[in-house]
Amino acid sequence: MAEPTPTPETVSVTVDGMTLDVPKGTRLLDACAQAGVDVPHYCYHPGMSAPAQCRMCLVEVEKSPKLIPACVGSVTDGMVVHTQSENALKAREGVLEFYLVNHPLDCPVCDQSGECKLQDYVSAEGPAMGRSREPKRVLGRDDFGGDVLFYADRCVMCTRCVRFMREVAQDERLTVVQRGSRAVIDTFYDEGLTGNIWADNIVDICPVGALVSKDFLHKARAWDLDRVPSVCPNCSMGCNIRLETRDDQVMRLKPRPNPEVNAHWMCDFGRLNYNWMNRVDRIEAPLVRDASGRHVPMSWADTLTRLAEALRGAGGGGGARAVVSPFESNEGMGALRRVMEAVGGGDGVFRCEQGEEVVLPGFPDLALRRDRAANVVGAELFGFGRTGRPDGKGGLESVGAHTGVLLVLGDELGDAPADFGANASLFVYVGQHLAPAARNAHFVLPATTFAEMEGTFTNIQRRVQRFWPAVRAPGMARPAWQILGVLLAGISEAGAPGTAADAFGTLGAVCPEFGQLAWADLGANGAVLPGVRELQEMGD
Amino acid sequence: MAYPYRHPAETLVISEHFGNPEARTLKGWEALGGYKPMRTALGLDRAEVVNIVKASGLRGRGGAGFPTGMKWSFMPKKEAGKPHFLVCNADESEPGTFKDRELMRWTPHALIEGCVVGAYAINAEHAYIYVRGEFFEPAQVMARAIEEAYAAGYLGKNIMGSGVDIDITLHIGAGAYICGEETGLLNSLEGRRGEPRVKPPYPAIAGAFRYPTAVNNVESLIAAAHIVHHGADWYKQWGTEKSVGTKLFCVSGHVKRPGNYEVPLGFNFREFIYEVCGGTPSGKPIKAVIPGGSSVPILTADELDIGMDYESMAAAGTMLGCGSVIVMDSGTNVVKQVRRMVDFYAHESCGQCTPCREGTAWASKILKRVERGRGTPDDLDTLLDISDKMSGKTICVLSDAAAAPIVSSIQKFRDDYLALMDAGQLAGAGGR
Amino acid sequence: MSAEPIRAGSEYDPTSWPEAVQNPGFVGDTGEFAGLTEADVRGTAFIGRRPADGGHASVAGTLPYHTATKDPQAPIFHGPYEDRLEKILSRYPDRQAALLPALHLAHEIRGYLSPETQDEVAEKLQLPPAYVRGVATFYTMYNLAPVGKYLIQVCTNISCNLCGGDAVLEAFLKHTGTELGETSANGLWTVIEVECLGACGFPTAVQINEFYYENVRPESVPDVLARLT
Repeated sequence: MAEPTPTPETVSVTVDGMTLDVPKGTRLLDACAQAGVDVPHYCYHPGMSAPAQCRMCLVEVEKSPKLIPACVGSVTDGMVVHTQSENALKAREGVLEFYLVNHPLDCPVCDQSGECKLQDYVSAEGPAMGRSREPKRVLGRDDFGGDVLFYADRCVMCTRCVRFMREVAQDERLTVVQRGSRAVIDTFYDEGLTGNIWADNIVDICPVGALVSKDFLHKARAWDLDRVPSVCPNCSMGCNIRLETRDDQVMRLKPRPNPEVNAHWMCDFGRLNYNWMNRVDRIEAPLVRDASGRHVPMSWADTLTRLAEALRGAGGGGGARAVVSPFESNEGMGALRRVMEAVGGGDGVFRCEQGEEVVLPGFPDLALRRDRAANVVGAELFGFGRTGRPDGKGGLESVGAHTGVLLVLGDELGDAPADFGANASLFVYVGQHLAPAARNAHFVLPATTFAEMEGTFTNIQRRVQRFWPAVRAPGMARPAWQILGVLLAGISEAGAPGTAADAFGTLGAVCPEFGQLAWADLGANGAVLPGVRELQEMGD
Repeated sequence: MAYPYRHPAETLVISEHFGNPEARTLKGWEALGGYKPMRTALGLDRAEVVNIVKASGLRGRGGAGFPTGMKWSFMPKKEAGKPHFLVCNADESEPGTFKDRELMRWTPHALIEGCVVGAYAINAEHAYIYVRGEFFEPAQVMARAIEEAYAAGYLGKNIMGSGVDIDITLHIGAGAYICGEETGLLNSLEGRRGEPRVKPPYPAIAGAFRYPTAVNNVESLIAAAHIVHHGADWYKQWGTEKSVGTKLFCVSGHVKRPGNYEVPLGFNFREFIYEVCGGTPSGKPIKAVIPGGSSVPILTADELDIGMDYESMAAAGTMLGCGSVIVMDSGTNVVKQVRRMVDFYAHESCGQCTPCREGTAWASKILKRVERGRGTPDDLDTLLDISDKMSGKTICVLSDAAAAPIVSSIQKFRDDYLALMDAGQLAGAGGR
Repeated sequence: MSAEPIRAGSEYDPTSWPEAVQNPGFVGDTGEFAGLTEADVRGTAFIGRRPADGGHASVAGTLPYHTATKDPQAPIFHGPYEDRLEKILSRYPDRQAALLPALHLAHEIRGYLSPETQDEVAEKLQLPPAYVRGVATFYTMYNLAPVGKYLIQVCTNISCNLCGGDAVLEAFLKHTGTELGETSANGLWTVIEVECLGACGFPTAVQINEFYYENVRPESVPDVLARLT
């Protein structure tokens, strides 16, 4: 949780021979981290209280008779800390050996293997051999409900999960049952965790393989995963995440710390809603409708040349109308808006599925937001208006009957009538999946999902956050900002964007706030757009 | 009179009325001079009360021996809206200890007085007496006495017209040794699992319900009331320079006359065991003595020529603890008894800290195996190493307590361990 | 003198205390205090019978005598028990602090703390049920499953062990015909081992329901059992 505001006063502390100045009151563990020393720890987690009970972070402090747990000790001026002294190493080796007395060492079948703090610390500081010859305690496996599975034998009793449910989720459904070596984490008998949408965070913070995700169970080994920083696309909160992939398949979503957005957490709705990123029914080549109504695959160069010609001819004929998906990037939406303006301007709409808002009580800035798409705020900033029902359907009647230029970006049009866009003078469909309603399109252009491209979303706090390509785009699919940017270059004086940064740089032209943000300012945690604009959400 | 036996060498200050059912009642207690100390205290300035106890050098009788007056002087200045609490630790559960039980069941009003004096000294308006749950009978006696004291105006608002308000609430534990640790006790009082807290903050700053709190043992509070009444110098007539006054010693195990004895601190230990307690009933020589409850290092029969005071015990490598003397004669299987003690600590570990949770259970398993004759000398090295890694590494001292008998018994009775291993080898059990 | 007066003529009026059954020997060796009866040692006459409503609020959390019959279905926090809980609550700054006394209360009526009972206590004190389970399982005196009418807890810790605690435990198992921790077929006995009861000078100490039996030797076990039934 938020540290008390550091006083400007600093103190000098020496960690393993390196002297550094840190704010007074800095946690010893953090001071060590600043000196480049990662002190092993289990029970301490920056998002929760520190019970100092795992005794893994014991370090030696000069003039202190006992070893000090670095997670609760704070630095004082002139403190000299030895994390690698004989005493400290011996104590930590002892703690690790104690863990191994009852740990099942079932690493070959454990999902945590490869990202397990017990493995890491034992290999770094643990004893070469455990000396225990006694039979191990066997407790077995328990279904905690929701997505969570509990392997009691692997548990190191750090109680992070209990404290998460108590302090952060504030829905105390976990507890330590019994005491001493019989102590075990459990729920209230059969109550379980079902119904709490924050429960999967305990899987993330479990330092070992005791709490694992049913969704991810035995699906991949940690060392086979590629991890790419990204933004959760499943609501307008925009939790910072890592997309973890293997063989171009998204395997799981994990929260990535961002103190301004999601701290260390994310909800289960966002986390488990990723299968759509792995859909295989994708448009893989640009399709152009010929005179007989058949869609013919064509090269990008030929397609865009023909499309540019068609657009130049269509200019002024009733203006343009557009439908955009709120899952599209700022860059794609901005490019779409510019294309619309180049052909005479017009109205654009978006549709978004809505649901109940669920706040995380211990970090109330974070909530599963009503709008279940990442870039609703972006869509509004680029002048698209909300249409349709809270289930994300409907509202297409007037657009579908438009007789001028009709542009669709990303919206799958699953519920659109068969004659959607049939009367349009030019119907361009840029999207990921070939919807029945897109059959009326004159041009069908394959676009990437956010997982396959670089770009940004604008979240509910008006924070613009970057995401990076995590999986390969299928076939000839390209980012929408690139498709539309090149097209725009073909019908106007604008230059074609070579990178997402280029595309971002042109957004100021259609939305001035973006002009005040530089790509370089975004970094990994994003930056907030200047100015305050009232958030517009549809009423229930 | 100490109970159930007495000896002329005893000095009876707080145990004078043990064995006298009349002393329990308010009437009887008043007739014996009761409630005078409380009156004296309430007539003094609060700071004066603290100073007298400080000057007397009274050390906490619960085991750690921290000076009582000093503990009280750590209490911060009272702020509006920030109550102070006195908590009396009557969770007596250290194996070998049974003094607070006698104090409560024979002289409940003495404890009420002690609580009022302590609460007055630290400016608390509420004192909780945390009695271990198993002490059903002493708790009933306390309850009755508290009701009597309320009815007589010795508790509640404006005590005896002094303008001082002090309430006492009896709080009953539910079976956990660790609640004898002061912060474990506070957590238990607050309705939590009795897990000790990380210190700092100490209870004087953030104790019961996070308010400034002093936690004192039953015997300390009762002694403090006497000291305030009679003066610091009166108390200093007994004991040594740094271990002042008299103390109740609980004697159990192989002695002819087990029970509670009150002697001045510094009393000769050998004389105490052989003369006062009568030596072993079997007539066999003494093999080992635990001088301060199961948590302290064991002494051999050769190490008994020391004073029963904090410094002498420390010099002998052990601790006075809470004065619980457990005597073992030469027929004792030391390994079995150490195993039983370690079992106890494994059972009572709260389970927070890894070295204690895992270490006590592991040591207990090894000792069981050794006891069955399936140990090897390597096991003793492992036990010593485990003990070292359990000591001084945890939030509270339970794991240090578990390590003490292991280490001292291996150091002093190694042959007993080796004999079991040899017997196991002969029997073909072997060291697996 | 603003202290609450003790109600005259109530169950805990000293004049109405019943005479206790006296049986010296079960309260341990009275040594040189040969004249003491069991009632003298236990303080039976002084204590009297504690009322179901807990008496004075300061001591309302004290266990009254265990009710003779346990009923797992009986309502808790009703009638005098509700008064008692209110009195208990009045002595602490928050509701949570009343958890141990409230669990004792439920335990007293129902004999053990079933999941349903824990849930009821949680609801009454506005605490999460899982939290209550965590607390209830931390303490050994709360039975989480039904036990016999007489729960016999034999101390086998060091002081009693030195003086034959193991043999006393064996004797109880033999004479009740049970295994350790199991309840006898007639529902009367459950014998378990217990850690130090704090009566080390009177080995072997045995706690049967609320009462201590001290200086118990294997040969006195039949007498102890006979006295109970």
